[in-house]
Amino acid sequence: MREIRWYYPENLKQLPDLLKREGVIPHGGGTGILRGSLNHIEGLIDLGNLQLRYVRYRNGKIEVGAGTTYADLIEHLSGTDPDHILVKALKAAASTPLRNRITVGGSAAFFPVWSDLMGPLLALDAEVTLTGEKGGSYSLSDYTKNGELRKMSLITSVQWKNKSWTSFYHRESRTKVDYPVFSISILLKVRKDTIEDIKIIIVGTARRFTQCLQIEESLKSLTLDQARIEGIGSKLDVQFTGRRNFSAEYLKHCVGIQLERGLKAILRS
Amino acid sequence: MAEYIHVGKSVTKIDSLGLAAGMEKFTDDFPTEDTLHCAILYSPHAHADIMDLDTKAALEMEGVVDVLHFKNVSRVLHTTAGQGYPEPSPYDTVLFDRKVRFIGDRIALVAAESREIAVEALKKISVEYKVLEPLFDIEKAMNPSAPRIHGDEEHVEIPVAYRPEVNLAAEVEIAFGDLEEGFSEADFTEEHTYTMQAASHCAIEPHAALAFFDARGRLVIITTTQVPFHVRRIVSRVLDIPLHSIRVIKPRIGGGFGGKQEVILEPLVALVAWRNKRASRIVLSRREVFVSSRTRHAMRIRLKTGAREDGSITALEMDALMNAGAYGTHALTVLSNTGSKVLPLFNKIDHLTFTGKSVYTNLPIGGAYRGYGATQGYFAFNQQIDMIARRAGQDLLEYCKRWHIQEGETSDVFRALGEGKKGVSQTIKSCRLSECIDRGAAAIDWYEKRGKQLKSGNDRVKGMGLAIAMQGSGIPQVDMASASMKMNDDGSFNLLIGATDIGTGSDTILAQIAAEVLCIPMEKIIVLSSDTDTTPFDTGAYASSTTYISGSAVEKCARNIKARIITAASQILGLEEEDLSLDMEKVTAPKSGQQVTYEQIALSTLYSRDQLQIQAQASYVSQESPPPFIAQFAEVDVDEKTGRIYVVKFISAVDCGQPINPVLVEGQVEGAVVNGISYALWEDYIYNSSGKMLNPRFWDYKIYTALDLPEMKTIVVGSFEETHPFGAKSVAEIAINGPAPAIANAVYDAVGVRMFDTPFTPEKVWRKMRS
Amino acid sequence: MEAVFRINGKEKTFSFDSDATLLAVLRDSGYTEIKEGCREGACGACVVLLDGLLINSCQVFAASAAGKEIITVRGLGDVHSPHPVQSAFVDSGAVQCGYCTPGMVLAAYSLLQKNPDPDDSEIKRALDGNLCRCTGYVKIVEAVRLAAGRMQGNG
Ligand SMILES: Cc1cc2nc3c(=O)[nH]c(=O)nc-3n(C[C@H](O)[C@H](O)[C@H](O)COP(=O)(O)OP(=O)(O)OC[C@H]3O[C@@H](n4cnc5c(N)ncnc54)[C@H](O)[C@@H]3O)c2cc1C
Ligand code: FES
Ligand code: FES
Repeated sequence: MREIRWYYPENLKQLPDLLKREGVIPHGGGTGILRGSLNHIEGLIDLGNLQLRYVRYRNGKIEVGAGTTYADLIEHLSGTDPDHILVKALKAAASTPLRNRITVGGSAAFFPVWSDLMGPLLALDAEVTLTGEKGGSYSLSDYTKNGELRKMSLITSVQWKNKSWTSFYHRESRTKVDYPVFSISILLKVRKDTIEDIKIIIVGTARRFTQCLQIEESLKSLTLDQARIEGIGSKLDVQFTGRRNFSAEYLKHCVGIQLERGLKAILRS
Repeated sequence: MAEYIHVGKSVTKIDSLGLAAGMEKFTDDFPTEDTLHCAILYSPHAHADIMDLDTKAALEMEGVVDVLHFKNVSRVLHTTAGQGYPEPSPYDTVLFDRKVRFIGDRIALVAAESREIAVEALKKISVEYKVLEPLFDIEKAMNPSAPRIHGDEEHVEIPVAYRPEVNLAAEVEIAFGDLEEGFSEADFTEEHTYTMQAASHCAIEPHAALAFFDARGRLVIITTTQVPFHVRRIVSRVLDIPLHSIRVIKPRIGGGFGGKQEVILEPLVALVAWRNKRASRIVLSRREVFVSSRTRHAMRIRLKTGAREDGSITALEMDALMNAGAYGTHALTVLSNTGSKVLPLFNKIDHLTFTGKSVYTNLPIGGAYRGYGATQGYFAFNQQIDMIARRAGQDLLEYCKRWHIQEGETSDVFRALGEGKKGVSQTIKSCRLSECIDRGAAAIDWYEKRGKQLKSGNDRVKGMGLAIAMQGSGIPQVDMASASMKMNDDGSFNLLIGATDIGTGSDTILAQIAAEVLCIPMEKIIVLSSDTDTTPFDTGAYASSTTYISGSAVEKCARNIKARIITAASQILGLEEEDLSLDMEKVTAPKSGQQVTYEQIALSTLYSRDQLQIQAQASYVSQESPPPFIAQFAEVDVDEKTGRIYVVKFISAVDCGQPINPVLVEGQVEGAVVNGISYALWEDYIYNSSGKMLNPRFWDYKIYTALDLPEMKTIVVGSFEETHPFGAKSVAEIAINGPAPAIANAVYDAVGVRMFDTPFTPEKVWRKMRS
Repeated sequence: MEAVFRINGKEKTFSFDSDATLLAVLRDSGYTEIKEGCREGACGACVVLLDGLLINSCQVFAASAAGKEIITVRGLGDVHSPHPVQSAFVDSGAVQCGYCTPGMVLAAYSLLQKNPDPDDSEIKRALDGNLCRCTGYVKIVEAVRLAAGRMQGNG
């Protein structure tokens, strides 16, 4: 039993004050909070009344409120772009009842190694908008690296440029309903048979995630016929730590195979 | 075959609507007043002596009422195995000991006003340990210089080999013929070692128990058990509470699979209640279920066979080393079953030995688990016959059909190997295994795909595998079941049975049998089961016994009732009994056309003439244990580059005699198959070097979900077992035996590597393919 | 703390600890049709509908559900007037021990609300949060198919 204070703010202006309090943190879906120890938590800020559950289109961007759940986002994007990488990724995340609960904001802040959200968002060059001490917009990639940004601030939305990409998503897991040991997100833009842009993010590596810059560079501006995929996997420079049922060596081998398969599939389509 | 009105019909389970509506009650759903909530302190060391233990701080906490531990609980050696008396398992367990034998062994119990307080108070108990060398490896544990896990007081109540001085919880040995001669006749031999890992039953309902006093001061225990009568006996003995003061009730049970054939929590809640004269309750967390309840026994089997060029087996030597874990519950009988349920299947091997040892280690405790040792034995056996048939250039299906035991045949193994004593010899009276093989093969297009290594996208190669198996139906000359019935005013009947429905549908099946004999609609049978105060004795739900043994008891009981109804009818109608027969809810005299309804009979006997309660009871012990048979086929795709196995299709064709309720039969098979597949591919106890289980969570111990299912089909191949009144045999366990070997054989068919140890994770397959 | 939930159509005030899960609060208040299998969000025995959405009640703080609408399996129907999903589970033989059944029924109900005519893969996906160790899921998938057919047939 732990006495936790609950706060139910109704507008964003109340947040900075609340966030300054010792041991008081935001509560999105609560699935990450409940997993850990509650020992250091004095208070929880329920984000439910802040109208942060939305997906909207603004200035050529898709903006997703922090309180949007995985299920909300899947449902929304399936309507407009059923092949969207986030639809593929989030559909397989966790389980149906958990997807109804897990929020985009909580997941971006928590960023577990098994995240199905972060690979696609990083590949999309998403930004986060914060409120509180560090109010403003930052690239998601900076946010993940800079612990300072998290202090006394919370994510109100995540947004990315609304461009159309061809996408591939693979998650490697034991059974189908499982944390992925790694995931591969690939986004591709082709113009007149030439690779104009490509993004490859692997989540679950020793450094949590890895962007495959070299491979991206080596493929850019090649025509589809020129692109040689064979052998890319074995040259891939990523490190893993061993996980339950999977050694580091196997994961490295496996990610190479799946990356080649992904690239072949995406270039074919 | 007779036309039945209920038998062979897929009657809906009588409790299913109440369950689907959330109205039926499971153990933890029963409210109790003024309850003490219990929490258990577990050992952090795999092997240690407890030098001292201090509970003062815990007792001082507000809300803490009692703390139990070795200093204040008497040391009564017993086994937690819910088996008949005298149990064949060693008496090597006490409620709280001065020594701990695995990480998860219990040290103390706190009873408090709330569960939260009890859990908090656990942290305040200080324990001083002297850490001892732990033993995890079975070979090392058997080494004479290894430390001892159990002492000299431990013993078995029956005369069987038990040598705790070398950490042996049980030993088995049988031999026929002359192995050396047998191997000398062979043209080729195969010798391989197979291992299977520990596994959790994963009944979705965790173990729970509660105890309270009724208004007459008797102790009532409601518990998640497969064996209510054994619970009453063991609790009474361990706590020295008179048996007549204890009532055990089994409510709805959320799955058992063997995991609840153990008396673990009942003595604890009973003791807390007894000492404090208050209700007490405990519900295990999932972690506790994984670590501190029971597991499938990890086993290593060395199997050597000699065969002639034509594939006929001249000699077979099977040696099983079983990891019993810290206590020897079911250590002897699971081990015996590895031989006794497997070896009779190929009954024409003249030279044969089976040896086995059950070894104590400092790991979680093995116990009964669906399949009960046969699963481990068949994993080895089925791969071995796949190899022999291949080497002999024989068609596997024809090979199996030629050599499996047939109707009218017997096996020496039946006689030699029983449950803690010699077995019971029997002749097979029903066996449709060959038909199972044919029908299963047709359903999976065996010949179109076997040996073809068909390729599909993303480097996948197809393979086909077969496994065959038999099991038993109850323990012959040991298991007893009984039933009693009485007639009500409207011609309905109460059926009281000790048999334990743990989700299997036995309440329904037994009602079908009674309704069949008495020629009445299902709703006229009111079933009450598993309450030691009101229902007659039954050994419980294990050893695939309920339909066969309890079913026979119910049939006998219903026949006794029928005789009384006919007697009453003959008096009412003034006709000879021989001239009367049963029709739907009435007795008729076909010759004269006279009739009297059950309701009239009931009213007459209860209120008018020659008054008496029409009632009867019957008990049944079986003289034999007729095996059901199964042929199981796996179609798998193997990813040649990653080693991942995709089970595409899985077909089971089973001969369980006359299915009493075909949908329930299919349900038993499907449940066992899915459990078997996820065990073969993923389920595992992962330990660190100190013997601590690292994955005691559903998120980390992967069992299959609906999304993981292959295409599945169950073919019920009917037969008629003449030793059962309706021709039935068992079906609850058998189907878990085939998945691992069928998949292993299919993987070999696809990519040519032999998987000798489960689980077949992608990495293991990949490493094999690489080397 | 105290909060009002509207549960199975009735408003009720509950008092509970601030760190209590919705599962603990509801079971302690007698809603024992909600089962507990793991307390880790992995088995689905504890699911309820919270404002119409299927959630694991063991993964939700009761405090975060204040003022919301909760439906349990008993809110769908009872033995006297079962919901078609409940009847379909019975008729398909999809109930063995029945411990997973309240959760399975709610998961199926929740799917059919959104998608009245799901195919098998959609059904399996919708049940991905619910473990069953008894049935092997085959008859559960059949039950959902049957329920879908019946519910459409009934308009
Ligand atoms: C059993 C299980 C399986 C799972 N499997 C997967 C999976 O396969 N794939 C996957 O992607 N995810 C999975 N998850 C989800 C993941 O592990 C986290 O639980 C989830 O991402 C957290 O989201 P939430 O909204 O519940 O956050 P919360 O639990 O509410 O919060 C998590 C952390 O983020 C903080 N936080 C919350 N909201 C904000 C905000 N707006 N701004 C800043 N900080 C905030 C909190 O203070 C807390 O520290 C699984 C979860 C569970 C329980
Ligand atoms: S108890 Fe909530 S998911 Fe298992
Ligand atoms: S019916 Fe027993 S867990 Fe599903």
